[in-house]
Amino acid sequence: MNLNKKVFIGLLSLLISSFSLSEELLLKNAKIHTATDRGTIEKADILIRDGMIVRIGKNILSSRAVEEDLSGKVISPGLIAPQTQLGIVEIELIPETRDDRSDIYSAGLSIDSAFNPSSTLIPYNLTGGITLSLTSPSSSGLFSGLTSAFSLSGSLEESLISSNIALSANISGGEDSMAAKVMLLEDSLKLAALTDFGQSPFITRGEIQNARSKRNGVNYYEIYESSLPKEVSYSARDLIALKRVINKEIPLVVRANRASDILALIDFAKTNDINLIINGAEEGWRVSRQLAEAEIPVILQPIDNIPNSFNELGSRLDNASLLHKSGVKILIGSHETHNAYLSRQGAGIAVSYGLPWEEALKGLTKNIAEVFKIDKRGSIQPGYIADIVVWSGDPLEVTSFVEQVYLSGESVSTKNRSMRLKERYISQ
Amino acid sequence: MKKLIFIVFIGTFSFLSLSSKETTAFESTYEPGNSGDILIENARILTGTGSEILSGSILISSNKIKAIGKTLDKPGSTQIIDANGKWVTPGIIDIHSHMGVYPAPGLRSSSDGNESTSPVTAHVWAEHSVWTQDPQMPLALKGGITTFHVLPGSANLIGGRGVTLKNIWSRTVQGMKFPGAPYTLKMACGENPKRVYGGRNSEPSTRMGNVAGYRKAWIRAQSYRNKLAEYESKSEEAKELEYAPTRDLELETLVGVLNGEILIQNHCYRGEEMAVMLDIAKEFNYKVTTFHHAVEAYKVADILAENGVCAAMWADWWGFKHEAFDMVWENAAIVDQANGGNGCAIIHSDSSVGIQRLNQEAAKAMAAGNRAGLDISPSRAIQWITLNPAKALGIAGKAGSLEVGKMADVVIWDGNPFSVYTKTEKVFVDGVLLYDKDNPLTPKATDFELGIINSEGDRL
Repeated sequence: MNLNKKVFIGLLSLLISSFSLSEELLLKNAKIHTATDRGTIEKADILIRDGMIVRIGKNILSSRAVEEDLSGKVISPGLIAPQTQLGIVEIELIPETRDDRSDIYSAGLSIDSAFNPSSTLIPYNLTGGITLSLTSPSSSGLFSGLTSAFSLSGSLEESLISSNIALSANISGGEDSMAAKVMLLEDSLKLAALTDFGQSPFITRGEIQNARSKRNGVNYYEIYESSLPKEVSYSARDLIALKRVINKEIPLVVRANRASDILALIDFAKTNDINLIINGAEEGWRVSRQLAEAEIPVILQPIDNIPNSFNELGSRLDNASLLHKSGVKILIGSHETHNAYLSRQGAGIAVSYGLPWEEALKGLTKNIAEVFKIDKRGSIQPGYIADIVVWSGDPLEVTSFVEQVYLSGESVSTKNRSMRLKERYISQ
Repeated sequence: MKKLIFIVFIGTFSFLSLSSKETTAFESTYEPGNSGDILIENARILTGTGSEILSGSILISSNKIKAIGKTLDKPGSTQIIDANGKWVTPGIIDIHSHMGVYPAPGLRSSSDGNESTSPVTAHVWAEHSVWTQDPQMPLALKGGITTFHVLPGSANLIGGRGVTLKNIWSRTVQGMKFPGAPYTLKMACGENPKRVYGGRNSEPSTRMGNVAGYRKAWIRAQSYRNKLAEYESKSEEAKELEYAPTRDLELETLVGVLNGEILIQNHCYRGEEMAVMLDIAKEFNYKVTTFHHAVEAYKVADILAENGVCAAMWADWWGFKHEAFDMVWENAAIVDQANGGNGCAIIHSDSSVGIQRLNQEAAKAMAAGNRAGLDISPSRAIQWITLNPAKALGIAGKAGSLEVGKMADVVIWDGNPFSVYTKTEKVFVDGVLLYDKDNPLTPKATDFELGIINSEGDRL
């Protein structure tokens, strides 16, 4: 083929693509769990156009859609993992494969640049039904850092969906009193409220002077120096992250299990007027009324009922059910990053202990998207992005498998390294 | 002279006690309560022997299974339980647990599962660390666990003796010991020993260091056994003139393995390492009973089957260590089907969360196998958590299946046990109903749990 011909064909295909009608996909005859108030629709269709869901209903017709018959199959929204290290951890015990910790930055640690879309955990968990991960650093200090939302597409360019959407904190563990940690949470936020870094994390002498005059001579930098305990110091990035919590731009996610700690945090959130999410909440059932009144959502790992410490002696398998009954919004996750998708087993167990099935599915999808303000994802409804999983059966059942995954309406490979290993050895 | 005779007597006595196979210390004192006669009828029974009875009955009498079949006669005073078509299985057995030695809450003060102070600690026994009031045990009972095997941890090449326990409330560990169960010996391959000791700049720091460590230990064991045999071969007169060899706790245990009395339970992830361990066993003429955490068992499934070695596996754990990187969901099914279905697959927990639902873990592994075309039936998969672990623990003559004469360890489920939604309704240990979903006072709370959250409440 000579060069002219190549150019001609190239131009032609460009013309065709720009004039062609938008792409349509019609998934037919599936049992559809919408994770909306429409609940589950038997033997129904989903029309997808340009990666977005257009219609859900019976006997949808389209003259130009590519059709997939999914009779006997089950569809759910792609599951969302609410708290993982997907993309920033490869092997737990090998520190050089981990990008989830920092001694340099605390609240301000954003892991976006470390996220590895080619991590083996990503296609593996996609195969388990997870399409979106809220990936968080896991440093052990008071603040672990910032959470970002990533698609499990594996794309080197387009995995990041939503950057720095929450700040994680821990108040348990270590030698210090829980009280000291709550005090430090409060002091850190108050300090951040006084700072004004604008868009830049760096501050010049001139800006300090400027701020001084603006604030009638009050030097916030001096306040910073004198207001925190000696051992604590924050970089500008840390303070900017904290300020976003104060401004209610992002929620603070605090890991806590003991009933009295949860109450202390509810009080703290009210006093400081911030958006709080409790992660863990194993004794949440004991303060479910207060959580509901304060409209504080909880991230649960419902498979874990072990009284691992004196802060979770009241752990029980019907926690999710009791919290839901009281009107608390439930998000369902897993302690495991490698098997983040097993959150669906935890959801199934919560159902067997009284959580309504539809609520369990929302806990894996819609509620997470809502609480973390991830736009147009987490449920199957018109106008939403077509991140859709096709299952062999009930998505919460341990014997069900993912058969197909659509990300933005595109069918993606559900093959992973583990499957390649199986194929190599199973025939021997 | 009198003194000398006395000393000789003591020496002979201690040697006799050693050679009499069973060590007399720490014997089981477990005795089940009176079960009475119980007939469970109209049940869908997975027998654990590989078959299924769609609508059958089980008669329990004097703590044992007295009869099992389609229809059974009802003796006069028999308590009748109508299972209403629900599923019944043997009591679940977890071959890999640290309950009692790594209890909850996880505090340093009761973290007694690993004597990680020397690469070979064959002299320690897990049972001497067991806290019988570990609140994880009744949670496991609710999950259908009637027997569990407690192992020392895996920091050591040879970590010490494991013990098989009945899952019952007891003030003493002797009161939980499975009567007549053989002792086991924990060994560990791979990363853990080399990380723990290599990290202290001592041997082993490599896998080859690990292997040298095992072999050196077996060489010492052989020489100790020869010394014992040499003394034993002497005439009675000659024995009176010299002391019996001094007891050596470490080597006694290793000699127990060489004599076939103590069963090797070997933590080993990688295929290569399993093959090497089997050659060490040949070199020193002992048997490896089970490879635990055998993430790569599928790579050597035929070799395991040829050697009659079981693999105890998780359904899906992976990635926490490099040696756990090559997990496949079909692992158990591939092991099971090796050499024409002659493999020995076991699903184990190593986890107080996982032990509560080994049925679901087996379900995942079964479903993965079936999806890969390996045709695993529920009656086959139930063996992964009943009869196969019983065989690997040397208790299959007494437990692990619903057969006449065996212990009446029986679970009634509220549905198909291979489902996430299914829970146990009733759990019998030796015919005694220890968990009944309709009785909130069961399982009996441990001492630890009493009055913690609500002093007036039933549990917690």
